[in-house]
Amino acid sequence: MPEFRKAVERFIRDNFVMGRSNVALDPDVSLIESGIMDSTGVLELVEFLESNFTIRIDDEELVPENLETISNIVRFLRSKGIA
Amino acid sequence: MPRLVHGFLQRSAEAHPDKTAVMDGSRSATFPELDSLAGRLAGVLKDQGLKRGDRVLMSMENSIESVAAYYGVLKAGGVCVEVPDRSTPSEVSYYLENSGARLCILSDASARRLGPVDAECVIGPGVPAGREGARRVSWEDVLRAPDYAPREGLSEDDLAAIVYTSGSTGRPKGVMLSHRNLCANTQAIVSYLGLTPSDRVMAVLPFHYVYGKTLLNTHVMAGGSVVINNRFAFPNTVVSDMIAREVTGFAGVPSTFAILLNRSVFPKTPVPSLRYVTQAGGAMAPALTKRLIGCLGNAKLFIMYGATEASARLTYLPPHRQDKLGSIGIPIPGVEASIRDDDGFELPPLQVGNICARGENIMQGYWGDAAETARAIRPWGLVTGDLGHRDEEGFIWLTGRIKDMLKVGGERVSPREIEDAIIESGLVHETAVIGRPDEYLSEVPEAFVVPLNHETFSLDDLKVFIDGRLAPHKHPRRWTVVKALPKKPSGKIDKEALKT
Repeated sequence: MPEFRKAVERFIRDNFVMGRSNVALDPDVSLIESGIMDSTGVLELVEFLESNFTIRIDDEELVPENLETISNIVRFLRSKGIA
Repeated sequence: MPRLVHGFLQRSAEAHPDKTAVMDGSRSATFPELDSLAGRLAGVLKDQGLKRGDRVLMSMENSIESVAAYYGVLKAGGVCVEVPDRSTPSEVSYYLENSGARLCILSDASARRLGPVDAECVIGPGVPAGREGARRVSWEDVLRAPDYAPREGLSEDDLAAIVYTSGSTGRPKGVMLSHRNLCANTQAIVSYLGLTPSDRVMAVLPFHYVYGKTLLNTHVMAGGSVVINNRFAFPNTVVSDMIAREVTGFAGVPSTFAILLNRSVFPKTPVPSLRYVTQAGGAMAPALTKRLIGCLGNAKLFIMYGATEASARLTYLPPHRQDKLGSIGIPIPGVEASIRDDDGFELPPLQVGNICARGENIMQGYWGDAAETARAIRPWGLVTGDLGHRDEEGFIWLTGRIKDMLKVGGERVSPREIEDAIIESGLVHETAVIGRPDEYLSEVPEAFVVPLNHETFSLDDLKVFIDGRLAPHKHPRRWTVVKALPKKPSGKIDKEALKT
């Protein structure tokens, strides 16, 4: 598993899954519908991605296709040149 | 004919038989379809032994089913106990025990999250739910059940809902709202918003929250439509949906608008069909309100104020009175608001006191808590717990919540005033100010700030700005820069969580 993906998963686990041992991180399950993140959580995630990977995420890019699942986040980061 | 909340749905089903009442993703339901689904659920509830006045706990995200469940419980003569769909098992145990509900209606997601809830019968989920031996009824069973007529003999004084509200101390209290309370409030809101069958509101607020529920009841009463969108985590999808569905109305709490204005395409994407926007659920910083008005084009902004104890709404600021921006406006039709001292004597204009209210929308009391009821409902009306004053024209200005006011070195300081100044700096997405105990001053303000841009944010710049805006005793003594502020399910900032 690439390092950047591990960092994303660690961030989500540390910040949103704390103490909820019954929550599994399936890469293709919606982080919103599974109750892991809410609207504030998405903004926290965006801030983390911007600072950790030194990228700029435009408001237009805050869409499910880029941020809804771990797989989508990984694909989105790749499109931003993160490997 | 008594005014009953489910009567809104029945009347709209008769008056608008082909009209879409609710849109929920790719699904939709007309008024007659919704009314029939509610009727079938009412029948199931009666078969499961529901008696007039029995409480039914509901934990569901907004959906066609959650709407049908609400009106179905009322048709059966039950009392809706709607709780946040993200409630934990221990919170739900408390709600069940406190309300005495024996029947539950859950969504699949709630059932999965909650595990075996302690109810005699669980309706709704297609996944295992309820303790061992509990009866289970799926939505498929509900769809097969006959459409019952509403229970006869209900009066306006029957309870329709118990809504749990968190205070700063103790467990949540159950606000008892009767059919009269909800009907009166719904009617007043329909009248001042001028809602008609051509209105279509985008609902991102949860229906278990009284503000969210007013969107549903007002549009069902007016024969308008409700568009459900539970995806505000991606605000751009909500903006696209608003355009695609040609919504005429939108409603949010301050954090809804902070996100829309700061991290979405909303400011540069006109929604031509938008006729009105409402904002309630706490005071919004005037700087944010002005930015919102600047983005709305021809749509009108209604700033509103209320309380769960008032069924939702108490006052509103008419959109043409932008000269009174920062005020919570005037009482809505049927409500009498006053500013009083602690003994109930009405205060003259400009004097700060307790904001009190009377009207058909004021709650019946707190469920099973006569002492708290007696504290909140006095002979002169509901004591809201908010402080404010009236100006010479009768507009009400909020100073803060009694329990939120800080006492800094003997001087009263309003956290809201500090928060407004911080937002005015244009450097911060969101902020919350709380009090911290202090050895010398008894209490000092502490500010939590979420920068608009984490990369370029400078706390020193913000401090310089505040220095020019507020007297020194109002300057926060501690500053904490955070990535996000904790929120309640309604979207309001959870200040209690910041204090721990």
